Amino acid sequence: MTEHYSVLLIIMPFLSGLLISIFGWYDQKKCYAIAILCLFLSIIISISLLLAVMQNGEPVQYRIGGWAPPWGIAYHVDYLNGIVLVVISLTSFLNLAGARKVIEKEFSDRIGAFYTLYILFTTGLLGMVVTGDAFNLYVLLEITSLTGYALIGFGVNRAPLSALNYLLMGTIGASFYLLGVGYLYMGTGSLNMADIAHLLPAIYHSRTVMFAFLLILCGLFVKMALFPLHGWLPNAYSDAPSISSGLIAPLTTKVMVYVMIRMVLTVFTPAFSFSFAALNSTMVWVAVIGILSGSMLALFQTRLKRMITYVIVTEIGYMVGGFWLGTRDGMTGAILHIVNDAMMTLCLFLSITLISYKIKGDRFSDFRGIFRKMPVTMTAFVVAALSIIGVPPTCGFFSKWYLISGGIAAGHYGFIAALLFSSLVNAVLFFRVIEIGYFEPFSDHGANSGHVPEVRMDEAPVSMLMPLMITAAMLIVLGIFSGDIVTRAIQFAIPASII
Amino acid sequence: MKLIGMISIFWLFIVLVYGTSDFSAWGDPESPCNLHVSNYYIEHAMSDTSVPNIVTAILADYRGFDTMFETAVIFSAGIACFFLLRRPKYDAPEAVVFRHIQTGITLRIEKGGRLPKESDEFERIDTQWVPYDLVIQVTSRILVPFIQLFALYVVAHGHHSPGGGFQGGVIFGAAIILFAVSNTLRKTTHRVSEKRSAVLCAIGVLIYAGTGVCCLLAGGNFLDYSALSGLLGVDPVTARSHGIMMVEMGVGLAVTMVMIWIYYNLSSAGKQHEGL
Repeated sequence: MTEHYSVLLIIMPFLSGLLISIFGWYDQKKCYAIAILCLFLSIIISISLLLAVMQNGEPVQYRIGGWAPPWGIAYHVDYLNGIVLVVISLTSFLNLAGARKVIEKEFSDRIGAFYTLYILFTTGLLGMVVTGDAFNLYVLLEITSLTGYALIGFGVNRAPLSALNYLLMGTIGASFYLLGVGYLYMGTGSLNMADIAHLLPAIYHSRTVMFAFLLILCGLFVKMALFPLHGWLPNAYSDAPSISSGLIAPLTTKVMVYVMIRMVLTVFTPAFSFSFAALNSTMVWVAVIGILSGSMLALFQTRLKRMITYVIVTEIGYMVGGFWLGTRDGMTGAILHIVNDAMMTLCLFLSITLISYKIKGDRFSDFRGIFRKMPVTMTAFVVAALSIIGVPPTCGFFSKWYLISGGIAAGHYGFIAALLFSSLVNAVLFFRVIEIGYFEPFSDHGANSGHVPEVRMDEAPVSMLMPLMITAAMLIVLGIFSGDIVTRAIQFAIPASII
Repeated sequence: MKLIGMISIFWLFIVLVYGTSDFSAWGDPESPCNLHVSNYYIEHAMSDTSVPNIVTAILADYRGFDTMFETAVIFSAGIACFFLLRRPKYDAPEAVVFRHIQTGITLRIEKGGRLPKESDEFERIDTQWVPYDLVIQVTSRILVPFIQLFALYVVAHGHHSPGGGFQGGVIFGAAIILFAVSNTLRKTTHRVSEKRSAVLCAIGVLIYAGTGVCCLLAGGNFLDYSALSGLLGVDPVTARSHGIMMVEMGVGLAVTMVMIWIYYNLSSAGKQHEGL
């Protein structure tokens, strides 16, 4: 059975999603159980896949339909996507684990449909990461996008409009990717990633390949919300129901960064991708502008969720910039940051879910005295904030460290300056929230300021706190073991030609 | 701003046209995309799968996994429409309108009144009801079974001619939508209820994925239909052909039901008790 693990990782949640959609019409109580069970199993499968890769030292291959790679679709798990698979299944599980009550409250009459969309979204992400076929990736991208639009569209305020905006932008991004894959097929006659990489060197000079490269990158940049193309992200993520944004915000953009790394390193190979000095430095400068503007825009926000969406835009800048530095440290930092940032964002959004469970409104002024009201939730929030700022021993420090040393190795001081600047801005951003929550007395809107009302502790239920505490602990554990993660896994994910 | 937009679009157009300049010529037999995988498909499709239609062989066998997820995309579209549009809790209308079919007299029954039983004599109508055209109703009633029959033919004949699950499913779904358009939504939901369409559509995708899982359980790889040869009692190549047939039926069912489901939700803006 072990040889089937890579396909089971996709099929098992896929079948569960279908089963949930049927159960949703008959017995809604079973939906949660099926969903959580299948996500738990997918964690186990993805961890054992990663362990198998680490033990054998070579990728796990799988031929779907029994067809050899260029003719059929192949699955390919190596160090790079092994890590991302674990992150996806873990994030999806932790986000759902405590959310049963929230979901029953928010989606009372369409629980089955919600869980189906949730599981299909996770399936799509897992499938995008595990696949070794450029077109198969697109098909799963469609599933992820469609379910993502639906999950976002059921939110508050102008969520349907934000979802429509996201749909238009996302479709354009996906079309660019598809067009790029079409160009690649025209040039090589193959859709399998390894096969394309094998056939490409003969036609590296052709314009078709160059345009395929640019089109694919453009599409992915839209999808990952790199700065000038980030327009859809803040609205979509801040209007979405908190449980949906807890799934989509940590994962979508990070998986897109993974796809970019996979395309650049595996399909086009560093020999091609890093042969255009002008292109590479443009990418880094775009990322630098993205980091700076993301930070500045975050400063102007008065709502917590919206502020965090701009922090996500900033983090994308870190990863894209670090990767395009083209140095080993920079790439290590970018890949490590995929893991860390997913966990940090998850921790932030989980605490927001808990806060919004108890407090209405997410303006900063609503958070007065919240530390006394929800001490555990806010502790986790502070851990996540420290990690985003980059304070050791939280994991955010270590990926930033690698990114900065990558910048030094490449001699790109603009990038280093942007990183340091945005760390400072992050400190301002989060300490502003923490200050309001910790020092200002609790008051409702328009309450008289004469006396300080007594604040009773009103913490979210334990079932919801557990996943949050685990996530917060993970941030520190990941930080402590980040050396191991790099030496045992990430360093093998980067081709030896990159120094 | 508009001008800048136009200029940048024009500039991009020039760039993209420039990008196409070293494409291989249209229909060039020596171009890379005609030399690599497509050659293999053309030469081996028949001997590998015993399916004369190469497109079907590629779609449902060589790249069957993509097709499974394409079906899942359609399924997600259906469930997304339901998730966003459906309004299950509605306030009972102030009054319900019934029409006596023979005489054309309409009855307005206030809240709390006794509703007539479902019968051939009375039909429930919407407040904005207009008489349906007899010609359209009769014509579509005659057409619907033939369209459905043709849909089944298209699904079944995917092995030999253009067709298959997607096309057949769309035609079948269209037949039922034609019925809904020429009659009322309520009459249609009586025959194919929303619950049934939703469940059957999930089952359609399940048939596809389940076929793959059967292959897995029979000892092959996922979607390796040749592993089913023992189960079906045929040689591995014919088993592939039968496997393709099975998944095509799953696709057909899923597509039909999604078409109907999406139509129900879109045409009535999610209310489903009044609408086209």
